[in-house]
Amino acid sequence: MANLKKLKGLKFIKMLPDRQARFESAKAEVPSFSDNATALARALHPKCQHLKIAQVIERGEDCKSFVLVPDAEKGTTQLAYFGAGKYLTVFEEIEGMPVTRAYSISSSPKDSLEGRYVLTIKLVEGGLVSRFIFDNWTVGRAVKASAPAGNFEYQELRDAKKVICIAGGSGITPFLSMANAIADGDEDFSMTLLYGSRNYENILFRDELAELEKKCDKIKVIHVLSAEDKEIEGTEKGFITAELIKKYAPENEEYSVFLCGPQQMYEFVDKELEKLNLPKKFIRHEMFGEFHNPASQEDYPQGVPEKVKITVKCQDETFTVEGSTGDSVVQILEKGKIAVPTRCRSGECGFCHSHLLSGKIYVPEKLEFRRLADYKFDCFHPCSSFPLTDLEIEIPAAK
Amino acid sequence: MKNYDVIVIGAGNGGLAAAANCAKAGLSTLLLERHNIPGGSASSFVRGRFEFEPSLHELAGIGDEKEAGTIEEVFNRINAEVDWCRHDSTFRLVVPAKEGDEDAFVNENGVLVTVDARMPVGFEEFSRKLDEIVPGSYESCRKAFDLSINMFKAFDCMEDPSKIPGSLKDVPDIMRMVSHTMTEALDALGMPKKAQDIFNTYWCYMGSPASQFDFLYYLCVLHSYVRSGTGIPKLRSHEMSLAIDKKIRDFGGDVWYNSEVTKFIMKDGKPVGVVINGEKEVYGKYFICNCYPYKVFTELMDKKDVPEMQLKMLNARKTACTLTTVYLGMNKTKEELGIKDYSVFIAPDSDSDKQYEAAQNYFSGYCIINCLNEIIPDCTPEGTSQLFLTTMTFGDVMKDIRPQDYKKFKTKVARDMIETCEKALNISITPYIEEIEIALPPTFARYLNTPLGTPYGYMLEKWDSMLPRTIQYLKDQPFPNFYFCGATQERGDGYGCAYYTGEKAAGLVIKKVKEGK
Repeated sequence: MANLKKLKGLKFIKMLPDRQARFESAKAEVPSFSDNATALARALHPKCQHLKIAQVIERGEDCKSFVLVPDAEKGTTQLAYFGAGKYLTVFEEIEGMPVTRAYSISSSPKDSLEGRYVLTIKLVEGGLVSRFIFDNWTVGRAVKASAPAGNFEYQELRDAKKVICIAGGSGITPFLSMANAIADGDEDFSMTLLYGSRNYENILFRDELAELEKKCDKIKVIHVLSAEDKEIEGTEKGFITAELIKKYAPENEEYSVFLCGPQQMYEFVDKELEKLNLPKKFIRHEMFGEFHNPASQEDYPQGVPEKVKITVKCQDETFTVEGSTGDSVVQILEKGKIAVPTRCRSGECGFCHSHLLSGKIYVPEKLEFRRLADYKFDCFHPCSSFPLTDLEIEIPAAK
Repeated sequence: MKNYDVIVIGAGNGGLAAAANCAKAGLSTLLLERHNIPGGSASSFVRGRFEFEPSLHELAGIGDEKEAGTIEEVFNRINAEVDWCRHDSTFRLVVPAKEGDEDAFVNENGVLVTVDARMPVGFEEFSRKLDEIVPGSYESCRKAFDLSINMFKAFDCMEDPSKIPGSLKDVPDIMRMVSHTMTEALDALGMPKKAQDIFNTYWCYMGSPASQFDFLYYLCVLHSYVRSGTGIPKLRSHEMSLAIDKKIRDFGGDVWYNSEVTKFIMKDGKPVGVVINGEKEVYGKYFICNCYPYKVFTELMDKKDVPEMQLKMLNARKTACTLTTVYLGMNKTKEELGIKDYSVFIAPDSDSDKQYEAAQNYFSGYCIINCLNEIIPDCTPEGTSQLFLTTMTFGDVMKDIRPQDYKKFKTKVARDMIETCEKALNISITPYIEEIEIALPPTFARYLNTPLGTPYGYMLEKWDSMLPRTIQYLKDQPFPNFYFCGATQERGDGYGCAYYTGEKAAGLVIKKVKEGK
């Protein structure tokens, strides 16, 4: 009869000495184990990148492109490769205030292999960080940045072969990178770019876009001008409406819509898109820029005080700062000279994940990316949260 | 500077359990984690309107309404609150037919297969079902489960080696099971080969094929799945990890995130503190380490401080398997997609050793497809569902991939996996993908910081199996005030195993602190 007793009963006695003997006979050296999974992880996601400004390109009065190269002296010899559409978070200190900003990379993935990223930054009216960058980023200056990050990328298994890209102002940056990647053969989709600018004269990258359009038949650019007096051939006047999208969308064929631009553009175009009844999977937004004026949102509660106090615990230290309820928790902390680990600054990446120990916050619906268990255990993202009362919070260390 | 009773390095499942138990016992406890959230593999992530489960397939230790399972007890012991969702099926194994397969038949999906086994919960039910698929396998299967009922006694023996000789009388077959592989033992029990392959389906959860893995441990795993089904947390694994994080704080412990240990501070040949993020020093009497020995002994300590035996152990052991997972947010319900099971194992060959051989290369055709909505119907918005597809590989399968090739390679692997599932189940997935995320070994290497990106520790090989690891646990530790926990330890990978090692390490430290040592 079949039975385990067929097997030797005392074999286990040898197990311990066998194992010990295996260990004894191995080398007592520090193993020089290097695997490509780890190497790729480090190459694509370095903890930080030390860069240097090689060139500054003026683009009209309020926009500049910065060409960044690796700063070998500080330890970065190679730039991390990236998928077109990703952003870099840059770290700055302004009068003792540690701040971060996320900027989409406007250069192509291929450029990064040749040691070059381009960030194109628009001066924001009253913007603290963009003003600082405009005044201080000159050739030779060191810039500390994150690895490329973000989820605003073309994915052939998910997206349609034809993509309507809707850009507003400096929201053109990820699309410029994507267009270059298409021309380089690194991405494979057809791009119809509806690019909203005020007038013909202040279109960013006008010549570059025209060149790409000429070079590659998968790229088509339509400028949509909201405040242009003259009739200019090949451009559209007004705003990016459902009608206009339909005019340029393929007929009887699926298409995706990618959007990148300021808050006001989303508020307008999202309503227009609703009229087109596209499946959700075909509409993708890039979070772009800081969220301002939470009180303008419909679901913002009444009777919120102007000023609040935030008590912040970080490792074994505790700080208290005061701030305005119009600022996000991260903005208040930064103004109080407390460094917070942030990347996307729009709630999406979760890098600033923190504990809310007491008090109430408001999170605009568009910036709501918390995990389900975060609600259960009072965790939140300070970059997308606005205080409604005094708060006590615990934040992760800014390493 | 504060001198903690215990510093726990790494808030993976092992580290969380260790810190919670130390804090509960009144020890001043500091848990350090390099990421901004706890859990390691036990976490979640959001894409669009979907929140994905990154690693958990199912927990065998949730038990039922009458009796809490072993994992549930881990949470009950520290009063951590998790909503469990129970599931009363085990697995479905589908082996698509190859040309010339004589035993091929058309299954319920209209696919030509050689095996289609949907296995139920319950020892008797499982055995009968196996017999139905492979006539003549009932007796051996039933016998195996009868043996498994005795095995928990064996685990007691292992925790206390002094019990072994005496207790052999009570558990006569235990030592045979532990010193023989699944193949050897099932052959001895007379189980037909095809039935063995179905019986061994969970081998991939352990990462060692039937010719390597010890029968006792496998039986233990299968037993816990078949006994009362499985469970998962309602709000993804992030709920489990945050639940423990909360208890550590409630018990007075400190949890510091974005706080990576970059060096151990050594004195008189043993650790007395750690450096965090290259600048801050913290001191402690005991250390429980959830991060891998490889990292500790190659990066966090100078060679002169590393016991020679630890280096030998690093060189002697084999890194376990790595995983690739494709996470899919679908804009159709599971019914619309035609998915009827939580967990389907699709294998090009039913034999685990052949699967293991094939997995030395990139995508072998082996793929597990899970649909979370099967257990938690409302885990995604109305009209949608989420799937995750998993395959495993052994060794440095990424070795020829350059950074600029990686995105295309990722997409190719994902496409292959999706098409494999579409074919094997005769369903359509690709047109309904609303969100997709693809995690390859570099993704796991980035988040887990382990060699090859393995979440599984060291391979549980014949010579380095659970029994000798368990008996030698104390001897394997590098310093008298330092204990490892997690997947690199005696039970290998798995949530339950990691919690177990964390609790055990905590128990050892608590005892020593209370004794004033």
